[in-house]
Amino acid sequence: MRFLVGYTATPAGADALALGVRLARAPGAELDIVLVLNAGERATLTPTDPGYHRLLLETAEVWLAEALTLVPAGISVHTHLEHADSFTRGLLKAAERLQANLIVVGAATHGLLGRFAIGSVAGGLLHSSHVPVALAPEGSRAMGTDEPIGRVTCAVGTKPGADGLLTAGIRLARTVDAPLRLVSLVAIDRPGADAQTIQLAADHAQAVLDYATEHLMDGLEVTASVASGGSIEHAVRGLHWDPAEVCIVGSSRLAQPHRLFLGSIAAKMLRELPVPLIVVPRDFTETGK
Amino acid sequence: MTLEINASEAVEKTTGGISKKGLSAGSVGLVGAVVIGISCIAPAYTLTGALGPTVAEVGLQLPAIFVAGFIPMLLVALGYRELNKAMPDSGTSFTWATRAFGPWIGWMSGWGLIAATVVVLSNLAGIAVDFFYLMLSQIFGNSAEIAGLAGNPWINVGTCLVFIFAATWISYRDMQTTQKVQYWLVGFQLIVLVGFGIMAFVHIASGTAFDPTPVSLSWFNPFAVTSFSAFAAGLSLSIFIFWGWDVTLTMSEETKGSRSTPGRAATLTVIIVMVLYLFVAIAAISFAGVGGVGVGLGNPEIQGNVFFALAGPALGPFAILMSIAVLSSSAASLQSTFVSPARTLLAMGHYGALPPAYAKVSPRFFTPGYATIASAIVAAGFYTIMRFVSEDVLWDTITTLGMMICFYYGLTAFACVWYFRRQWFATVRNAFFTLVFPLIGGIILAVLFCTTLVDSMDPNYGSGSEIFGLGLVFVLGMAILLIGAVIMFVQSKVRPAFFRGETLSLAAPRFGEHEE
Repeated sequence: MRFLVGYTATPAGADALALGVRLARAPGAELDIVLVLNAGERATLTPTDPGYHRLLLETAEVWLAEALTLVPAGISVHTHLEHADSFTRGLLKAAERLQANLIVVGAATHGLLGRFAIGSVAGGLLHSSHVPVALAPEGSRAMGTDEPIGRVTCAVGTKPGADGLLTAGIRLARTVDAPLRLVSLVAIDRPGADAQTIQLAADHAQAVLDYATEHLMDGLEVTASVASGGSIEHAVRGLHWDPAEVCIVGSSRLAQPHRLFLGSIAAKMLRELPVPLIVVPRDFTETGK
Repeated sequence: MTLEINASEAVEKTTGGISKKGLSAGSVGLVGAVVIGISCIAPAYTLTGALGPTVAEVGLQLPAIFVAGFIPMLLVALGYRELNKAMPDSGTSFTWATRAFGPWIGWMSGWGLIAATVVVLSNLAGIAVDFFYLMLSQIFGNSAEIAGLAGNPWINVGTCLVFIFAATWISYRDMQTTQKVQYWLVGFQLIVLVGFGIMAFVHIASGTAFDPTPVSLSWFNPFAVTSFSAFAAGLSLSIFIFWGWDVTLTMSEETKGSRSTPGRAATLTVIIVMVLYLFVAIAAISFAGVGGVGVGLGNPEIQGNVFFALAGPALGPFAILMSIAVLSSSAASLQSTFVSPARTLLAMGHYGALPPAYAKVSPRFFTPGYATIASAIVAAGFYTIMRFVSEDVLWDTITTLGMMICFYYGLTAFACVWYFRRQWFATVRNAFFTLVFPLIGGIILAVLFCTTLVDSMDPNYGSGSEIFGLGLVFVLGMAILLIGAVIMFVQSKVRPAFFRGETLSLAAPRFGEHEE
């Protein structure tokens, strides 16, 4: 698998890189570190200045070189400078060109409009990416790059479209050689968690577990559990989370009507989740390489 | 599974000509370049700020001075272009003067540029504050009370600081308007200014003008100006009105089409702006005269910001359009002006002429973040002090600005002449573009600078504010240069490497030599 890290020389960039490296430790995986610079193709009120651009390029190469020093030996890594109108567009362009399987960005925010920034970078990606996007929570860099992915948790619902998500989860678990945990989010899909709903959730979880077991040829460890709670926060908090695991969810599966995914629920999940969140596009089908 | 080390190799150049892509080669067409040029000159803001002080100096000969003011600007800009071609560097005047004359003069050159832009930032924000409250009053049924709020120093300074903060925020995060918005803004500005001129003449024809003054040929005769001092002062002001035009000349890297596009864009820009300036200036004088009362252009009360006073009488119910035009023009200019001190500070930090923190590039927004914030703080502080010291802050800042532009543009022109000294006679073109044009331009600016400096010692100069019996403009100019010199000497003790020429050396390329 090919992991693409959307890098900036900021704490958020370091978070993304740390997660990217942990993922890319898998055998056969490749790591691409991409730094996106403004293309300047838009008309600007501020006159462009060749001298400044040159300085910026030099600085960017230093940043990338510094990023390389954070990558331990034994990982196949490339760095790229991309020019685009926006960070999002640059990453998507690079992902397409490099045929990346996963884009990793830092979810940490800084600046006065902190919360909005989650939406602007990751949100832009989620609404246009055909490739799964991993959000490294703030502080991922503290874990370092040596800790392997301990578990892949796949949050599945009952509505159709979860197959792509499940496939992606299975694929990832296989790649990083980690056990897969299936979590049913049924309880929070419907208001009022009565006994019948819980039962439905348990049935559903069992059904997906069966499906997953069928598809895990090499016999990876699979478990299933039900997330119960009146709200996303409750459900997420109720589960046990291993600091070294990653959580994989479907993009629009969790979105409520008329709400941006990252604007509300994912932001909540991000805040509640102590682990990286990987969001898979709704109609995602693995091209398989 | 090998680690592909060696950073410089691993940094993959994505599309071959990366540096070209970085410079966004071929992204700006002729029209785009003209729009950027006009946007940088910001005619609506410039006219409202410069018309009054210039009339105060040269009276009816305003049109003549506007035309004359373009000549030194053109001569210096041609030299500027040669330097930019030979040594593209974000430090511009600082870097070039250092290469030509060494670290000390280079440092002061950079300081002059920073001072000029910081002064203009405070003036811009001041004008924007006036028009902001005028617009509010126009929206709420022409209440004089709201328009008068701009006169309250506390409210004025408070609003101004908010504006400067907003502009800093935008610059720091590198938020840009799209090309379309920019076209609209520039188009709107031009339409409103032309509309103002037409309405002024309509009023004159129908006999409702404030002080109808028949147009006369003598307005175009620069020799009709009463004294050389007045002529020089007017000229240094009118250099300001073309400030920003040089951008079109140096855009050669990103214009598309033939190599002649930048030249054509620059010519077209200056023709449009010149025609506009002359039309509006003539209309304003014909409509309001140069008398010292009411909305007469000679009235010191209104000279710092003439459209503020003229918009109502000339445009009537459409006066609010003028407020919007000046506000948008100031906003655009505030944004484009913010980058030059920041980039120069960044270059000075980069070469060790200032603490290295100034060389920091924001890793998230790719802007010279530290330097941007530093220039904003200085601009805000400068405006606040001026607002309480000066009788007419806008007027005095514009005059000081004229002086500062003469200082650093003059040095830049001489730097061009000296840097290319071994190539002067290589071709006929070189002889003109690296010797004759910049030398004449530099001499004119030097003369203007000295004349303004001497004249401004008179306490009655400019708005008539004084400190210790000397004109405020003189004190300001000297203070700015002296503070620069003091900081320079401190830096030379703390960071001697730059001042020993170790980071940026003297140079003078021979013919056929091309410096990278």
